[in-house]
Amino acid sequence: MSYAYLFKYIIIGDTGVGKSCLLLQFTDKRFQPVHDLTIGVEFGARMITIDGKQIKLQIWDTAGQESFRSITRSYYRGAAGALLVYDITRRDTFNHLTTWLEDARQHSNSNMVIMLIGNKSDLESRREVKKEEGEAFAREHGLIFMETSAKTAANVEEAFINTAKEIYEKIQEGVFDINNEANGIKIGPQHSPSNPALGGGGGAGGSQAGGGCC
Amino acid sequence: MNYLKNFLATQPGTQPTGAETIERLCDRVQSSTLLDDRRDAVRALKALSKKFRLEVGTQGMDILINVLETDRTDGEIVNYALDTMNNIMCNNPEDDDDEDIPQTNGEVRQEPEDLGGQFTEIFIKKLENVQLLLNFLEEYDFRVRWPTVKLMTTLLCNRCSQMQQIILNSPVGVSRLMDLISDAREVIRNDGLLLLIQLTKGNAAIQKIVAFENAFERLLEIIVEEGHSDGGIVVEDCLLLMMNLLKNNNSNQTLFKEGGLIQKLTPFFDITEASPGGGWSAQKVTNLHLMLKLVRTLVSPNNPTVSIAACQKVMNTCGLLEKLCMILMASGVPADILTETINTVSEVIRGNTANQEYFASVNAPSQPPRPAIVVLLMSMVNEKQPFVLRCAVLYCFQCFLFKNEVGQAQIVQTLLPTTADASAISAGQLLFCYLLVNVTILPITNHGKYAPQGGKLQTRLGLLILLCSWLSDCSIAVTHFLHNATNVPFLTSQITDQAEEDEQLAQGLFALLLGICVHYNDNSIENFTKERLQQLISKRIGLESFEDKLSFVTKSDHYSRAARSPQPRYDAPERVLLDYEFVALFRQYEGVIMKAVRPKTKEEEQAEQKTIEDHAGIVTQYKELIREQDAELHSTKQELQEVKVKLSETEKQLQEQASMVQQLRDQYSLLKATKGRESPQVQQTEAGGGAEEVARLQGELGDSKRVLESKTQQLMERDRTIEQLKNDLTVAEAKAAVREASEDGDAGSTEDSTRPLQERIEVLTREKEELRTQLSSQETQIQTFRTDNEALKSKLSAQTNGPSPDAVAAETAALQAKLAEVESDRACSEEENRRLKEQVQNLQLQNSQLQNSQVQNSQLQNSPAADGNADSAKLEEEVRRLSEEKKRLEEEAETASKEQDDLLVLLADQDAKIKKYRDRLKELGEQMDDDDDDDGDLEDDEDYEDEEEEEEEDGDKEED
Repeated sequence: MSYAYLFKYIIIGDTGVGKSCLLLQFTDKRFQPVHDLTIGVEFGARMITIDGKQIKLQIWDTAGQESFRSITRSYYRGAAGALLVYDITRRDTFNHLTTWLEDARQHSNSNMVIMLIGNKSDLESRREVKKEEGEAFAREHGLIFMETSAKTAANVEEAFINTAKEIYEKIQEGVFDINNEANGIKIGPQHSPSNPALGGGGGAGGSQAGGGCC
Repeated sequence: MNYLKNFLATQPGTQPTGAETIERLCDRVQSSTLLDDRRDAVRALKALSKKFRLEVGTQGMDILINVLETDRTDGEIVNYALDTMNNIMCNNPEDDDDEDIPQTNGEVRQEPEDLGGQFTEIFIKKLENVQLLLNFLEEYDFRVRWPTVKLMTTLLCNRCSQMQQIILNSPVGVSRLMDLISDAREVIRNDGLLLLIQLTKGNAAIQKIVAFENAFERLLEIIVEEGHSDGGIVVEDCLLLMMNLLKNNNSNQTLFKEGGLIQKLTPFFDITEASPGGGWSAQKVTNLHLMLKLVRTLVSPNNPTVSIAACQKVMNTCGLLEKLCMILMASGVPADILTETINTVSEVIRGNTANQEYFASVNAPSQPPRPAIVVLLMSMVNEKQPFVLRCAVLYCFQCFLFKNEVGQAQIVQTLLPTTADASAISAGQLLFCYLLVNVTILPITNHGKYAPQGGKLQTRLGLLILLCSWLSDCSIAVTHFLHNATNVPFLTSQITDQAEEDEQLAQGLFALLLGICVHYNDNSIENFTKERLQQLISKRIGLESFEDKLSFVTKSDHYSRAARSPQPRYDAPERVLLDYEFVALFRQYEGVIMKAVRPKTKEEEQAEQKTIEDHAGIVTQYKELIREQDAELHSTKQELQEVKVKLSETEKQLQEQASMVQQLRDQYSLLKATKGRESPQVQQTEAGGGAEEVARLQGELGDSKRVLESKTQQLMERDRTIEQLKNDLTVAEAKAAVREASEDGDAGSTEDSTRPLQERIEVLTREKEELRTQLSSQETQIQTFRTDNEALKSKLSAQTNGPSPDAVAAETAALQAKLAEVESDRACSEEENRRLKEQVQNLQLQNSQLQNSQVQNSQLQNSPAADGNADSAKLEEEVRRLSEEKKRLEEEAETASKEQDDLLVLLADQDAKIKKYRDRLKELGEQMDDDDDDDGDLEDDEDYEDEEEEEEEDGDKEED
């Protein structure tokens, strides 16, 4: 349980762009080429370190299919960060970014950090969207941008961690109201002044280390 | 209310029916312009809505919705409207004891079933209506928020899945509902909990969103605030909601575990200090019961194995298991809780070695301390204990042994009593004694002699299950069993007997046992081999009948009940017939046995035999094949090795040979060059013809050169003779002059006669000079030939160094061109020669003329002899000598002419050769035109110059 902050992320984007694979690569460090279609929302978690502080990331991987869109929308409000993913080998997924972004901006809290991700960078030969286009889109809409490959794990860590860094900076700047858990940020138990007895569930820390890996 | 009272009061005698009143009220709500009037009307409707649900609903629903939309700013009227709607839609109104109810009882009873559901359907048909309610939730006003929550709950109760979909489609719907449990007003919070319980029923998507909105943390906070299990019904609601979120929702379970919330469950079970009076309130029992269920949800055997194991581990390390075991051993715990705790502990330790070990180490606080397992088993074998409790202990014991080989071994070791000390009771002993008491079997080792026929069905089934489990997958046990010759006849008789319904279950098990005996038969007992048993079954029982008996087991209630879950759930002790593990075993063997007992037809048998033989044959074949292939592989490897060595050697040789070839080639070209000089005709091969040709040409060129040289020599010789002739002539001239001087008279005439001679000689000398110049030019030409030849040679050597066909071609072309040059030169020299010859002929002629003149001269000399004899005699002598010399000269001239003839012949030869060259060059020239042309142009220029020179020479001659 020894974390300074807990951030909630959501991963959004068209179906088949590799959202679940990104999450799996980040949490389990493995790649599953054949992945079942995500139904509704799936959950994953991992601990990272930023600025010497342990930060727990709780990540909700959403279904990209249109039919699950309304369910997905329910998650925007409570998330501190969002990874908006497109597939560099499918231009239509890039073209839909505007819709996704509008949806996200409309339903999320205004401080939510959005990271734009062009996934499948390992498939250079099939590339349909230039890196510069992604960069331009990100610049235009004030997003952080990165190209990743869930297959080779290139930039996957960085994508999640950089998003967390951005959120962390916003906390330091006082932009986020960290006492409002609806923002998707929670202060760790030992940092919380209110209830040390509750968080100190005895030697629970040791057991959590085991839980933290999955 | 005044309005209502007035309304009711105006017609005391003829009280209007409810429907009429409602109609008026509805009219009033719609038509009134004053808010107060409308509000009163709605209030009146609300008051009637419980009694006249149908009427109010049918007439007032739309009007009320309209009120909600138009008068939303007025909390009070909204409150009335919402309450009214809730009343008409709620099927189970909380009876707040309306005093009017007894009066109108009859009317109420008449309303159709699920009226509320129907109204709900009408209401939610319009999605905006639900959205309207969701918007009301944003209103903080208690008068609005509370009835909205209640109405939403009612709607959800009536049409759950439809409402869930509508709420899901609203992006903030779920989170607005979630906000309710954070409301500071407890009433709203508590009703919000009820709402969420309805909302999360059976909808995983909503469950996840609710969990995402920090529901677990919030609920745990509420539980802590309310004082854990001592809290009231709110704790129960919280627990129910948590159950909803976790049950069968793996994602939420992971989130729960991940969020470190299992640890937060531990304090729930601190019950030791929480029982001051010893009595447990019903609410506390319920709460605790739910808390235990919550723990069980996380480790339910239906969950994925990985997540069970993870949760079990956390529960052990965070002390939750310890707390549970403390409850087990605590006194004063109600049986209900104790049972559920045992079940919970069972599932927390099931299949988890560490937890099982911990459980085995738990001691009961008795004197002397006994292991908790023993204490529990004591309860189990105590028939006075509640049956559910005994079942729970059984389950616990099963879970303890599940995948626990160490535990199993320990139990087996303690089956028989080892000490006389009565207090040192072991688990195994306890079980064994219990069995001994209850079962009428005497020597269990000799299992043939039991008499299950007479015993209780339960006992018999138990024994059969034991035997089936025992014999399955163990041929030795089967052999031992068959060793007793009475066993099989006993089994068959049991199977074939007519039986009552419950007995049929036993028959099924008998059939299974017999089937296992067939399947695991190693044919070691002669009378009961596989084949014999098969025959026995088909003859004595009949295959169909056997299958019927077997399949009866799966059709029985007991079977399906036991199959449901590992936890034994029985209504009464006598219902305990089959268990989960046995059902698993039965499932495993049913099909196998059906196949095993069916005697194989001969064809099948043969086929099988054949296939077996085939298999054996195939295996041996393959073995041999593999052996052969292995050997082959080995030899091939060796060969490969050898071949590799050879290859490297060969490569070396090849390199050597290549260098040798290079040397040879050099030598060959050298040889060719030398050979070409020696015998040009011999070398006439097709490949590299160019070089050979060139070499040959070169040789021929050399020849022609030599010829030319000889010709020049001859020419030089002739030159010399001519020189001599000239000298002779001058001598003769001088003599003539002397003679002239000696004889004056004749002198003039002599002089006259000698003058032309002299002149001719002069001409001759001039011609000689000409010839000489021509010769020198020829010499220079020969020089050019030589240089050309040198160039050719160098090119040829270059060619042999790098014999690319193109270069050869170019070379040949160049050579050709040069040859053409040479040819033209040759032609020139030929012409020159011809001219020379002509001149020589001229010279001859002149010489003869000169002779003639000399003769005339001598005649002349003879005539004046009379004048001066002596002088004349001298003169005559001189003349004679002169004439002689002349003759000699003539002869010499003749030899010169002869030589010239020879020269001519040689030139003709050369001509022929040149022609041959030309032909060959033509052949070559056809092949390479471009190079030819380039070179040809140059040559043409040269030729042109040569021609000019020749022309000049000709011109000079003509001038001469």
